[in-house]
Amino acid sequence: MPFRLNIMLCTGTGCVSNGAFPLLEAFEKEIKKHELHGEVAVIPTGCNGFCAVGPLVVVQPDEIFYQRLRIEDVPFLVQEHFLKGRPVKKFMYTPPETKEPIPVMSDIPFFGKQMLIALRNRGLIDPENIDEYIARDGYKGFTKAITTMTPKQVIDEVKASGLRGRGGGGFPTGLKWEVAFNTQSDEKFIIINCDEGDPGAFMDRSIVESDPHSVIEGVLIGAYALGVKQVYIYVRMEYPLALKRFYRALEHATEYGLLGKNILGKGMDLEIEVHRGAGAFICGEETALIRSIQGFVGEAQAKYIYPAEKGLNGKPTIINNVETWANIPQIILRGAKWFASIGTRGKNGDGGSTGTKVFSLVGKVHNTGLVEVPMGITLREIIYDIGGGIKNNKKFKSVQTGGPSGGFLPESLLDLPVDFDELLKVGSMMGSGGMVVTDEDNCMVDMARYFLDFVQSESCGKCIPCREGTKRMLDILERITFGQGTEEDLVKLEELSKLIVESSLCALGGTAPNPVLTTMKYFREEYEAHVKNKKCPAHTCKPLITYTIDGKICVEKGHGCGVCRKNCPQSAIAGELKKEHRIDPAKCDKCGICYDVCKFDAIYVD
Amino acid sequence: MITLKIDGIEVQVPEETTVLKAAEKVGVWIPTMCHNDLFEPYAVCRLCSVEVVRGKRSRVVTACNYPVSEGIEVLTDSENIRWIRKFLMELILSRWPNVKVVKEMAEKLNVGKPRYESLEKDEAEDACILCGQCVNVCREVVQANVIGFSYRGIKREVVLPLGEQSDKCIVCGACALVCPTGHIKMVIEDYKGKKPEFTLGPKTSIYVPTMQGIPRVPVIDAESCIHFKTGGCEVCAKVCEPHAVNYDMKDEIVEIDVGQILLSTGYDIFDASKMTQFGYGRLNDVYSSLEFEMMLSSMGPTSGKVLTKDGKEPRSIGIVHCVGSRDTNHHPYCSRVCCMYALKFAHLVCDRTDAEIYQFYIDMRAFGKGYEEFYVRILDEGVKVIRGKVAEVSEVTSSGEYKNQLIIRCEDTLAGKILEVPVDMVILCNAIEPRKDIDAVRRLFSISKSPDGFFLERHPKLDPTSTMSDGIYIAGCAQGPKDIPDTVAQASSAAARILSYISKGEVEIDPVRAWIDDKYCAGCRICNNLCPYTAIDFIEEKKISQINDVLCKGCGTCVAACPASAITGKGFSDAQIVAELEGLLAI
Amino acid sequence: MEFEPRIIAFFCNWCTYTGADLAGVSRLKSPANIRVIRTMCSGRVDPTFILKAFELGADGILIGGCHPGDCHYSEGNYKALRRVHLLRKMLQSFGIDEKRLRLEWISASEGDVYQHVATEFTAQIRSLGPLNWKQRFEQKEPKEQLIAV
Repeated sequence: MPFRLNIMLCTGTGCVSNGAFPLLEAFEKEIKKHELHGEVAVIPTGCNGFCAVGPLVVVQPDEIFYQRLRIEDVPFLVQEHFLKGRPVKKFMYTPPETKEPIPVMSDIPFFGKQMLIALRNRGLIDPENIDEYIARDGYKGFTKAITTMTPKQVIDEVKASGLRGRGGGGFPTGLKWEVAFNTQSDEKFIIINCDEGDPGAFMDRSIVESDPHSVIEGVLIGAYALGVKQVYIYVRMEYPLALKRFYRALEHATEYGLLGKNILGKGMDLEIEVHRGAGAFICGEETALIRSIQGFVGEAQAKYIYPAEKGLNGKPTIINNVETWANIPQIILRGAKWFASIGTRGKNGDGGSTGTKVFSLVGKVHNTGLVEVPMGITLREIIYDIGGGIKNNKKFKSVQTGGPSGGFLPESLLDLPVDFDELLKVGSMMGSGGMVVTDEDNCMVDMARYFLDFVQSESCGKCIPCREGTKRMLDILERITFGQGTEEDLVKLEELSKLIVESSLCALGGTAPNPVLTTMKYFREEYEAHVKNKKCPAHTCKPLITYTIDGKICVEKGHGCGVCRKNCPQSAIAGELKKEHRIDPAKCDKCGICYDVCKFDAIYVD
Repeated sequence: MITLKIDGIEVQVPEETTVLKAAEKVGVWIPTMCHNDLFEPYAVCRLCSVEVVRGKRSRVVTACNYPVSEGIEVLTDSENIRWIRKFLMELILSRWPNVKVVKEMAEKLNVGKPRYESLEKDEAEDACILCGQCVNVCREVVQANVIGFSYRGIKREVVLPLGEQSDKCIVCGACALVCPTGHIKMVIEDYKGKKPEFTLGPKTSIYVPTMQGIPRVPVIDAESCIHFKTGGCEVCAKVCEPHAVNYDMKDEIVEIDVGQILLSTGYDIFDASKMTQFGYGRLNDVYSSLEFEMMLSSMGPTSGKVLTKDGKEPRSIGIVHCVGSRDTNHHPYCSRVCCMYALKFAHLVCDRTDAEIYQFYIDMRAFGKGYEEFYVRILDEGVKVIRGKVAEVSEVTSSGEYKNQLIIRCEDTLAGKILEVPVDMVILCNAIEPRKDIDAVRRLFSISKSPDGFFLERHPKLDPTSTMSDGIYIAGCAQGPKDIPDTVAQASSAAARILSYISKGEVEIDPVRAWIDDKYCAGCRICNNLCPYTAIDFIEEKKISQINDVLCKGCGTCVAACPASAITGKGFSDAQIVAELEGLLAI
Repeated sequence: MEFEPRIIAFFCNWCTYTGADLAGVSRLKSPANIRVIRTMCSGRVDPTFILKAFELGADGILIGGCHPGDCHYSEGNYKALRRVHLLRKMLQSFGIDEKRLRLEWISASEGDVYQHVATEFTAQIRSLGPLNWKQRFEQKEPKEQLIAV
């Protein structure tokens, strides 16, 4: 029965933690109260992407976008919009610069510049309902492949699309498949890599949560092309909602005869087994992931022979991440040519980056969230047009792409197109799509230290350069942020970085020094300030900053109000009313409370 | 075959060879600290990094796991590689500055004092350097999977599951064997088991049971072999070029039909730990004669060198005769061979060391041909012979001149003095005693044993090689202690006896047989069940019993049991026995 | 003249006979009162032999066999044991002290055991005195004989 209105309520993890489920209950209660339940349906969807303003709903078919809803707002919204047909402006998204509410979702700049392939069903369907997926051309790509194409044609199509692995390495997917296709074996495997370990990245989780069937369909096409009967999906334990939805999707697909024995009567068999990872960053690396599935400690294996030839149990194994798989059905359905027309082209026709890429845009931008953009879009467009620029009118400093082992890019590179090879050239990488924006308040040395600390504690510790080398780098960076660095340390950092990149066993080590290398390259003056002047320009490294009270302002403007003295937890501030106050540097532990409480800006940081 | 160049040297190797192996072939040294041919390359130390040049492209790879391919050129000593190796070594050295293998490798790679201080520095000389060899050998070779890595990054450690020794650990010691730093040690806790027989060190799982045995082939001890515990290892099969290792062989019982049997089952040696005064098994450097024989053997644990447990050459040795023999508490008989081998020991020790040798004897029994002359020669060599039974061997615990030595206390009965002789090593001449299972064996063959416990011959003077059972012969120490010439003589005699029967082609049987007189047999069948040889059959047609002459051994049990007196024992008939009785009682 | 017991011994060929032989070879002195009859096995000893021996004037009877489990014929010694048990009961009814019949396991190596048993048994019979079984029948009238029995 068609409904007059469909309330698409985002139940992605971000919105759920902001109270999406109680909101859902409130909507249902209110709709029932007004006896609208025959006309208005509330549908919980996967992640909408605009996580910064959750919990949010989109009212279809008019695409009216409501944000930051609270339970107490529901009765009013239902009465005004659903009953009386008057969209409520005060719940709509209002860009900070124009102050004019934007009612329709696609008019919001955050959505406007996006192009959805992997996420094309986000927010439009109930992820726990296979019929809704099918209604949006779901499983059509697979049906096309199995009924009209040979396995070889499927592989050629993927190859022609120019699709490159979305997990980080950017290896051409079609080529990988071809290797496995050409390797003779009685058994081949497919592994779906959903071990998204980058801090602040949630592309794969969001896809599985909002559109699990797209992954299953992609895998079905791959399994058909490669003759695979057994598929594993490696999901992080930290993704309970994704797991639940994926299990539900597996159930439905099996019920519909899309999994199991004799699929679609074509004699194809396929089983998908869920393997839950225990949360190790290294397990996102192919060989470590295979070890983990086999029941061993997840550590990278020395490889000069690729898993596509010799992987799980020594059999050819195709490992692609969730986003890659989600792209496959669209490539088959709409053709490689269409896909290849999006994005950039390499110089000689090969290389380049086609299609779209999902990024999780986080950090100091207005609109944090999940965005899917065509390849070739510039960083500036992502940060300013989609992200809405830097928060609090601060100055942009850098953007880190590619997760913890990606590089930091400065403002001068903002017009760089998003492309696997272009990013590599400037010392960063595409990675799985993390994008962290920093502003002037972020100390680049401290950022480098933070990410190196992450890499060091997540390194499997197997090979010497990664285990020992990153630890020495971390020691040096810690020294620098404590103001004990020397100029020789900078040389050492560069030297160690070179060694680790050259001699590490796996890509984790090979890319681990990227944050250091890029920050040293683009923000060298910050390092020098730390080392030579023992100052932190961003005022982040506590041992290097001092809080001082400008006596003149204190007396003249504030009349020695003494608020700072009363609030100082260390009792480091001395002074009397109407007289100048002073901070005792020996007692001050640089908590910054005085700075925050001073109404007269008499306290400055140096 | 694949052709490649290593440092300009062209080499041909089979496909799937690693660069490391190829380099070995041409004698190019590539350093490595984690590689071991026992398992798949682990590639963690990265010291084996080499540069592989293909056309214009060059790439740094690890030699231990990089498979060769046609036309590549490998550079093992380029500037970049030297830099990588030295740098890596510096990192390793800065973390484990005192580990021997690390220091050695650092020296080879010309690495001096590291420029980097490690906060995780481990000063121990036997620190674990995380090379992973133990983990890999346990996983891939032993397949017991009881050692693993724990924690990530710099905190990585080699651990046992849950920090405890798993009951899946078969205590094979492979991990300790491959550990390059000695971090893993084998500790024998509360070892209460019996000392392995005749050995001085741990027995390997593959050994040749008897060096002189035929065929002289090694066997696998399934009880200690790793393969039979976990299904893994198979290292012996991998290294055996003729592929002669067979794990499917099973112990089997073979039945062979024979007419005559010669028992030469040998002897055991007296367990000297029963005589606590000698301290065997309690004191270091108190050896049994067979253990010392092992030590003297060039294939023994010390390759024939006479060494104490500390690995030093002894300054003096005491040889104690008659341990357990000529002793009413243990074996009253003389073991016959000890005097002579004790003299032989003295001779060999004189030959190989400068040690002073003391012999403590009751009587010097040098009775054979040339034996007395040997005794005289030994005396000339300066061996001190002391007539007197040793009372005690004890350890010097106090300090002083004889610290950590053994003291032999005895009475010199010729000089009439009590002696206390300090020695570094004591050799006990254990008595020869019957095999532990001699009773089971003798019952199997229906033969007896003499009071000393050895097999009993048919007649001590007239028939010393045959037994009461026809066709069963005995020779060697199974019959009683004897030396090699006596054994050879007795064995030859037994063999001759056996051959004489074989050449005869037929066997005479004793005429002592039972016989049933058909006339008197009532067919009661009492005798049928009595016969231990089932020699009596009941003839259905005649309704009488009949005795099979070949099967009957003439024991006469049936004769005595026949209620009709129908059975007669030839040579021992009722009449004969009664006549004997009458004769005996006539007077 | 002092009473010299006449003792008949049935010794099995393989154990006790050889054992007695060993005693001789070993120069172990044993009483001459024992008069040995060799049988192949103690199982050959027919109870009638024992009665016959008493009848013929024996004062004691010693049967020697192999130790249990050692019988050359597997189990002849067990048969002997069974018979001796029954015979002892019968001897009582004949008025013969059961101590006059003794069964001993003596192996071929036990010369000393033989010596010990022979000496002890002879001394025992000596203390029991002569049996004179036959004479007892001969001296008395049939009726008295019956009473005696």
